[in-house]
Amino acid sequence: MTRLRGAFDWLDSRTGFRGIRGHLLEEPIPAGVGWWFVTGSILLFLLGVQLVTGVVLTMYYVPSPEHAYDSVRYVEDRLPLGWIVRALHFFGASFIVVAAVLHMLRVVAFGSYKKPREVTWMTGVILLLIILAFALTGYLLPWDQKAYWATTVTINIARTSPFVGEQIAGLMRGGADLGALTLLRWYAAHVFLLPAALIGFVAAHLYLMRRHGISGPIAAAAGEPKPFYPYQAFKDTVASALVFALLVTFVFTFEVPLDPIADPSDANYVPRPEWYFLSLFEMLKYFPGPLEPVATLVIPGLAVAGLLLLPFLDRGPERHLLRRRLVAAAFVLAGTVVVSLTYLGLQDSPVHADPSDWGPLSLAGREFIGDERCTTCHRMGGAANPMDQTRLRRDPEWLLAHIADPETIAPGTRKPPPGGMREAMARSIVSYLQKVRAGGNAPEPAGETRTAVLVLGAWCGSCHIIDGEGVEQGPDLTNAGKEHDAKWLHEWISDPAAVDELADMPPFNDKLTPEELNAIANYLAARK
Amino acid sequence: MCPGQHLPPPDSGRRRFLSGAITAIQGAIGATLAFLLGGAVVAPAFGTRRTSWWPAVAIDDLPDNEPTPITIRVTREDGYSQVADRQIVFLVKTGASDVTALSSTCTHLGCRVSWDADDEMLKCPCHGGVFDRTGAVRAGPPPAPLEKLATRREGDRILVQL
Repeated sequence: MTRLRGAFDWLDSRTGFRGIRGHLLEEPIPAGVGWWFVTGSILLFLLGVQLVTGVVLTMYYVPSPEHAYDSVRYVEDRLPLGWIVRALHFFGASFIVVAAVLHMLRVVAFGSYKKPREVTWMTGVILLLIILAFALTGYLLPWDQKAYWATTVTINIARTSPFVGEQIAGLMRGGADLGALTLLRWYAAHVFLLPAALIGFVAAHLYLMRRHGISGPIAAAAGEPKPFYPYQAFKDTVASALVFALLVTFVFTFEVPLDPIADPSDANYVPRPEWYFLSLFEMLKYFPGPLEPVATLVIPGLAVAGLLLLPFLDRGPERHLLRRRLVAAAFVLAGTVVVSLTYLGLQDSPVHADPSDWGPLSLAGREFIGDERCTTCHRMGGAANPMDQTRLRRDPEWLLAHIADPETIAPGTRKPPPGGMREAMARSIVSYLQKVRAGGNAPEPAGETRTAVLVLGAWCGSCHIIDGEGVEQGPDLTNAGKEHDAKWLHEWISDPAAVDELADMPPFNDKLTPEELNAIANYLAARK
Repeated sequence: MCPGQHLPPPDSGRRRFLSGAITAIQGAIGATLAFLLGGAVVAPAFGTRRTSWWPAVAIDDLPDNEPTPITIRVTREDGYSQVADRQIVFLVKTGASDVTALSSTCTHLGCRVSWDADDEMLKCPCHGGVFDRTGAVRAGPPPAPLEKLATRREGDRILVQL
């Protein structure tokens, strides 16, 4: 112990670290500063959590459209503790937005931005913008559907800027289209530029806070000031611990979403931003056509300018909120608008299919990959990776062509497997490959259900959609049981022309066994 | 302003309690984060590579008692992706049905050895390591013989465990 103290004494004599520590921790805090003043420390703590979880994520993340999605999947599904790290980072982002807004509201409520703390306030507003920029750049990175489409919308909003809209959009994209260059520059912003700006402005904010001292309670309380450590530091620590406990609760209670991989050809995806941008997104609906820049630029611009200039607009010495009615009314109004728009946006959010929900076609595809036509090459030590280890890198059209005629990928170089596959089976295998990539655990259908699943996968998927998979030519089978019972379905599938002369579906009584016909009719009838 | 200038004398009992509580709470948060984040950083470092049997060559295609380099295509997990590596092993046919498989990785610093037919030795180009056809060290700095890989036969094919 004495030796350790000796070592610290030596270090202090050379560096003076105890003096710095004392200066940092012994800031006099006026009496009456209570729990309201912990918001800044909570924010600082959460930023620290984002920083360390972010560093770990960069060890596994690859910023390229080819690999980004798979690398996030790896963190989520296979890296030990990886899903927890990603969830801490994901929910941490939302917590920071909430903490930043609460901190700002506390400062407004206590009038803490008033002379001489105007610049402290302005650095705080810039920090809020930096935090929002972090959030915006962060959710492109997984390169899933949400990432791709929400970013497309963001860049197109930037395009509506007057005069330089195209140039700003080009700078954001880094090229003519949203792609590899976009992902790289948003990644660089997220892990280099924004952290540097954040650290700089946090340092400035803290320096200014120390320079002018903490604003303290509105009415001076009786009593001597006390040092920050341990009195206020204790409150800060307890508050941070409670927030951390809540964050961990979120991590273990809610799932972090990861959509299917970005698909620029998907016309059905309805993009929605994260909840903290939802009010801005919703506002667009009320300013259609030529009025759009009002929602994209004018209102947000005025809000930011109003925030930055607040200390100069509200210059009186009065700090009590109820005697600053205009400021109070402005914040209540803005808050009501933001909360209402966010609520409307949430009501309007589409429900996305969970990519790990297995439909019958992908379940059938999992069984079809055992086919000799696949395993001739796709096996351990074979010409290609085993099918369950195949990562989907090709587009569905290529895969369908390859599955229907495996020789197309390398004509003449190897003995082609015997025969191609029907389109429905090929489509089921593509569905399977997409599910495997999305990392979901498949259920194990048995008995008649399994028979029905195999029939659906082998025959139905080339004309019908079921659970979002297949081809939209005939009716969607997802809820077939709502309209027809098993008896009708049995008759129809056996010979549609016998039920309706104009039916254009082929009969299946010559292709399916009686057991298979019963199984498919019962299975579809049960889907209500 | 000099820090602590206007501060009253500390009430040391309460002060000590609060300091202790701060240290304990921050220590608990720090330990939780260190476990979660450290685990995610450290865990993959100790993952073992899964081995499997890979088809190499038909036994009749091997010359007698001469190390023959065979390229084996090995698919394996590489982090988030799957890669196909081409690995070279030396197969030595030592009898009608006996085959020894030697790794081509020098045991000194991991360079690739090759068969010198004139000297009838496996030689490492990096630091002059020399191995004979059984993999034993004959010269140079390698500290151990070439690694022997498990082999088995399936019909007329030799399978190597990698």
